[in-house]
Amino acid sequence: MIETAGHLPGLPAGEVAWRTLDFSAWGEHVQVRVPELTTAQATTLAGHVREQARTYLRTLPVSQIVATLDAAIARLLDRADPWRRRAEAVLPIVTGYDRESVRLGLSGYLRSFRAPQLQRFLAEDFANPAMLDGFQPAMKGGFTRAQGPQLLLHIWAGNVPGLSLWSLISGLLVKAGTVGKVASAEPLLAGWFAQILAEIDPKLGQCLAVVWWKGGDEEAERAWLCEADTVIAYGGNDALAAIRERVPVTARFLPHGHRIGFGLIGAEALDTRRAGPLARLVAQDVARWEQQGCYSPQMLFVARGAAVSPREFAERVSQELGALSPRHPRRALSVAEAAGVADWRSREEMRGFDEDGTVVLGEAGDGWSVVFSDAAQPLAPSALNRTLKIVAVDSLDAVPPLVAPARAYLQTAAVAASPRELFRIATLLGEAGVTRICGFGAMAAPEAGWHNDGRFNLLDLVRLTEIEQSAERAADGFADYVD
Amino acid sequence: MTQSEIIEALLAFIEQDDASEAAFERMALAVFAYQFAHNAPYRRFAIQRGRTTLTVRSWRDIPAVPISAFKTLTLSCTPPEAAERIFMTSGTTQGGVRGKSHHPTMAVWSRSMLVNFRRRFMQGRERIAMGILFPDEVVMPNSSLAHYLALAKRDCGTPDSEGFIGASGLDLARLIAALERAEASGEPYALLGASFSFVHLLDALAAQGRRFALPAGSRILDTGGFKGQSREMTPDAFYDALSAALGVPRTACINMYGMTELSTQFYDDGNAVCPPVKSGPHWIRSRVVDPVSGRDLPEGATGVLVHHDLAHFNCASAILTEDAGVMVEGGFRLLGRVDGADSKGCSVAVEEFLRAARG
Repeated sequence: MIETAGHLPGLPAGEVAWRTLDFSAWGEHVQVRVPELTTAQATTLAGHVREQARTYLRTLPVSQIVATLDAAIARLLDRADPWRRRAEAVLPIVTGYDRESVRLGLSGYLRSFRAPQLQRFLAEDFANPAMLDGFQPAMKGGFTRAQGPQLLLHIWAGNVPGLSLWSLISGLLVKAGTVGKVASAEPLLAGWFAQILAEIDPKLGQCLAVVWWKGGDEEAERAWLCEADTVIAYGGNDALAAIRERVPVTARFLPHGHRIGFGLIGAEALDTRRAGPLARLVAQDVARWEQQGCYSPQMLFVARGAAVSPREFAERVSQELGALSPRHPRRALSVAEAAGVADWRSREEMRGFDEDGTVVLGEAGDGWSVVFSDAAQPLAPSALNRTLKIVAVDSLDAVPPLVAPARAYLQTAAVAASPRELFRIATLLGEAGVTRICGFGAMAAPEAGWHNDGRFNLLDLVRLTEIEQSAERAADGFADYVD
Repeated sequence: MTQSEIIEALLAFIEQDDASEAAFERMALAVFAYQFAHNAPYRRFAIQRGRTTLTVRSWRDIPAVPISAFKTLTLSCTPPEAAERIFMTSGTTQGGVRGKSHHPTMAVWSRSMLVNFRRRFMQGRERIAMGILFPDEVVMPNSSLAHYLALAKRDCGTPDSEGFIGASGLDLARLIAALERAEASGEPYALLGASFSFVHLLDALAAQGRRFALPAGSRILDTGGFKGQSREMTPDAFYDALSAALGVPRTACINMYGMTELSTQFYDDGNAVCPPVKSGPHWIRSRVVDPVSGRDLPEGATGVLVHHDLAHFNCASAILTEDAGVMVEGGFRLLGRVDGADSKGCSVAVEEFLRAARG
């Protein structure tokens, strides 16, 4: 099977050099051709996208952009649609996730981008989204209009399929000429989405491009960084620091670094009736995308003192992970990933020798690992790929100090607690640096309009143009109707 | 077995020319029984893995300790304070926590090193003039490599052999003089040291525009990789540059692969082709495993290397390394480190998190 990645409006495909990436999983193989543009081609493409966005995308009312995005998402949600079938057939091979996970994960995720949800994106960031279409009265007086970047560059990372759509769609909603660089680990979905948009509205298809360059290719990266006036980048801190250094000082840089997620379970959630279903939700959060997402849980803090002890709860989570494995087997791990899992497991075993109550549950050969510790420990990463550490705490109040040192890496925390307790603990978690609190089972599926890393999806992209009252008053003096 | 019995048995084993699978097995099970009896942390580890002297039937069943365990546990059959030597890792990873190997006697370690070194590096020569590109044992008393090179120089070097790394780094002038003398003498010369030291030498020679054509039979031994102490070079570029700068063919550029957590080293037979096949003597055996399950992988499949080094009798003879490898005819090919930091997702990986935590 051969797939071609990218979307290059205005560039003849015959003039582009292509590189082939190989992917294998589940006994199948796919080759993906990715474009390798010259600096001159990058400049041409950037100019084309910028110009098309200026003359077309900026003239569209936001409502029409929403309608087009909605139509494109509808096609990806329609299991009979050829694009959807292609996604279901190819993405499991490229990413290694099992077919059911890809199918369920895609549907769950894409639902965040239907028209009503896109309205939510807009409403979350703009009191009056019409300010993207024209000048609107401002509270302080005068009028305000919001303008997206002329050329917005996305540098995507990660192998959670479709993660790229979040920022891609945000950019289009503010009418930005858009260029996205796909990650080698999942180079396809963004390009497919661009092509679906182009099928629905060919002129819109001219306003965005999807490209690729090899990670670390500074020359290719620099060419694009010089063209963009806003850059959104995803990656580890080292990669982001390297990009930040090369972004021109006049451009806006919006980095999204790696994060660590965790969960808190209060005593009230641990009666014999509630603990079972809760353990199932925890297992789902752990298994979804093999914890590769920034929102995935890596550690769980469980309160003592309930009918179900933290240790028993850890065993229930293990059982649920065991039950999930046959239906959603863990993807095949690279040698480095497997070594990471083995290293994490053995370190925890060693801890057990010091008799601090650390127990490794499950066998090394299982497709998951749960470590239980009877002593509270600060938040620390697991080895991902279905590895979870569960620690007992006397109460949830013990948790904020344990996570606070990781402030720079905090984002999502799932909480199972009573309403009063939820709001109380949420205040403490927010102070510690947590930006998203959700229920178990929803960790890997943030709701539409979610403020990723506590920032604005759309507002961070725009620049405001204001007409002050003085200009308005002065203009009155020059009107032909003036007395 | 008592400690003196196991030492005696091992010294005799090392002196043999070779060992059959059955002989290795017998010795390995005896060493395992010794460690199981006297090394409490290792016994707990083995029991946790469901392995005891009753269930272990083959050397392949002996549970391999991950080398990270040497950082957190004191793996020693004798009280650590009774150790004649403690070798420590360089501590470049994990926030400076250093892995330790305790040696109640250096007799077995030294015997293992010398017998193997003579066979693989000296190749029948009694002595050779040596230049050492590594600090000596006085400067680095806990470095197994410093001890290794001291033994090589003492037992296999000519009297005019000398070290060229002092308190102020590489003594280039003295080294160039030695290389000039070697070139003029017509007698083979050996340069031994850390791989990164050779990079510094190459850069210094290039800056001066100097090249040497060392006499036939000269050889180079590098070890340890670059460890962030010099610029990184690909193996081909490294051996090409060594060969060009010193006039030693790549077939005479031998790489030694050893570690603090072992008492025996591996060698290749030159680096004409990279990566070369590496092998050790009859008292060490290697496997390539799936690191998660610990199961052997078939020949040709890439996995993580496990070494069973009988000479490492006081600590743990079976270790799970952090090195990727593949078993081939006559040994294994070493494919570099696996550091577990291969996560492609946007969850923060352990390494970055630890680095940030250290500030």
